[in-house]
Amino acid sequence: MQGKELGDYIIEVERIRKTFPDGVQALYDFSTRIRRSEVVVVIGPSGAGKSTFLRCLNGLEDFDSGTITIDGIPLDDNKENRFEIRKEVGMVFQLFNLFPHMTVLENVNLAQMLVRKKNHDEATKVTMSLLEKVGIPDKAQSYPSQLSGGQQQRVAIARALAMVPKVMLFDEATSALDPEMIGEVLDVMKTLAQEGMTMVVVTHEMGFAREVGDRVIFMDEGRTVEEGSVEQIFSNPQKERTRQFIGQIL
Amino acid sequence: MKKKKTKITPLDLIVSALILAAAVYLGYRIKVGLHYKWNWQAIPQYLYRYDQESGKWVANLIMQGLFTTLRLSIWGTVLATILGTIMGLCRISQSLFYRLLGRSYVELIRNMPPLVLIFIFYYFVSGQIMPVLGLNEFILAQSETTQRLCELLFAPPSFLSAFFSALVTLAIFEGAYIAEIVRAGIQSIDKGQWEAAHALGLSKWQQMRYIILPQAVQRILPPLAGQFISLIKDSSIVSVISIQELTFQGMELMATTYLTFEIWITITLLYLVMTFTCSLAVQRLEVRMARGRA
Repeated sequence: MQGKELGDYIIEVERIRKTFPDGVQALYDFSTRIRRSEVVVVIGPSGAGKSTFLRCLNGLEDFDSGTITIDGIPLDDNKENRFEIRKEVGMVFQLFNLFPHMTVLENVNLAQMLVRKKNHDEATKVTMSLLEKVGIPDKAQSYPSQLSGGQQQRVAIARALAMVPKVMLFDEATSALDPEMIGEVLDVMKTLAQEGMTMVVVTHEMGFAREVGDRVIFMDEGRTVEEGSVEQIFSNPQKERTRQFIGQIL
Repeated sequence: MKKKKTKITPLDLIVSALILAAAVYLGYRIKVGLHYKWNWQAIPQYLYRYDQESGKWVANLIMQGLFTTLRLSIWGTVLATILGTIMGLCRISQSLFYRLLGRSYVELIRNMPPLVLIFIFYYFVSGQIMPVLGLNEFILAQSETTQRLCELLFAPPSFLSAFFSALVTLAIFEGAYIAEIVRAGIQSIDKGQWEAAHALGLSKWQQMRYIILPQAVQRILPPLAGQFISLIKDSSIVSVISIQELTFQGMELMATTYLTFEIWITITLLYLVMTFTCSLAVQRLEVRMARGRA
């Protein structure tokens, strides 16, 4: 991205460790700092700890040691802090996870009304403008099962955006989609990036990474192997392991 | 879509003929072997009788029994559902204490014969707790209208404490099974639903109330209907503590009239009407709930 101004650090991750109950070590002294409006693309082989890292950022997963601070709020045992962070960090899942018993409108309205305490009309207004933004205003009254995968994922993005988050996390948001639907979801993500949203994106879409990524983190075995600008990681990786991985996916 | 035509195959004919033959033989045995004299005319008077004093038709033994069974079943269903839902939620709680509580309840009740449970409760609840609560005195001190209402909804004041013991036993017994149905229903919902709701900032209670339960209810309904039907049928065991419900009245009548077959066939049909109505009601509810979703 040319000419985009990055702000101060909004996410600070210090040496977090996470071992699953079955003994698998997912994160090993993982640290990183992410600036406001920065788009960070996380790549790496499966089992590298990418998703675990993402899920730690909004408290879906607890970590054993280390610290995470988001917009000055530490993600610790304090319930208020955790709630605050969940509100401010939006997440988009690989399998959409829309609520199947609610219409698209209700899906996007729900958290606005329950968490942000808006009334139905205010929430609907926001929802309709977001559906407009992701290109499916005519689907407001549909149920998720009536939509294509790409449409469902766009609703999921709208649903997360409705909370006006400061950070958006994308966990392999296009991996479950048919190839012809990947584009429509990536387009929405690109628009968000251009608008200055802080984004952490776990993806295999190298085209997307090249186009909007400000920085790439290559992870393996729970740590950062190499990180740097998109150009540097893709065209001139320093580490052998990175070269190997890039060689396989490009 | 075209409906498949029902076709009667030779096998169907053979099976039908066999069933018919078995029925005829059974009738023959009853007539010849038992020398049974059918007397269906005697039955209607036990359903309703003409009261000379008031000049009205009033419910007699069998219908009174039916109403008691209905009261037991309806209140039992309500109580068992409440108890079962709470215990089902306990079973999946994050707190070890609640999990232990739910688990102990379910295992204890499921592994105990209902008859034993009934006796324990009858002698303990009815004998020890009810007098402490002073329910009988309380009801007898109320106005006549209140007493009538109580009689209509539950039981006549003199039977009230026995009725409540029976009701509590039934609810506790069926609640254990409902708890397992509720637990399984909630656990069958995809983990992603919890996660999405969590990520949106919903509280644990809101996740349960708005996301998980509405979806779980749809899956829970069919097994729950089976449990409600069980409850209606299981209500007959409280006849052992002299609750005058349908089965109890049947045994009483049989002892005095010896109309064995007529009485039990009538009572079977009455149970069938109740359970079948319950099935149909749940079926309609399922269809209505499914309509929302495509």
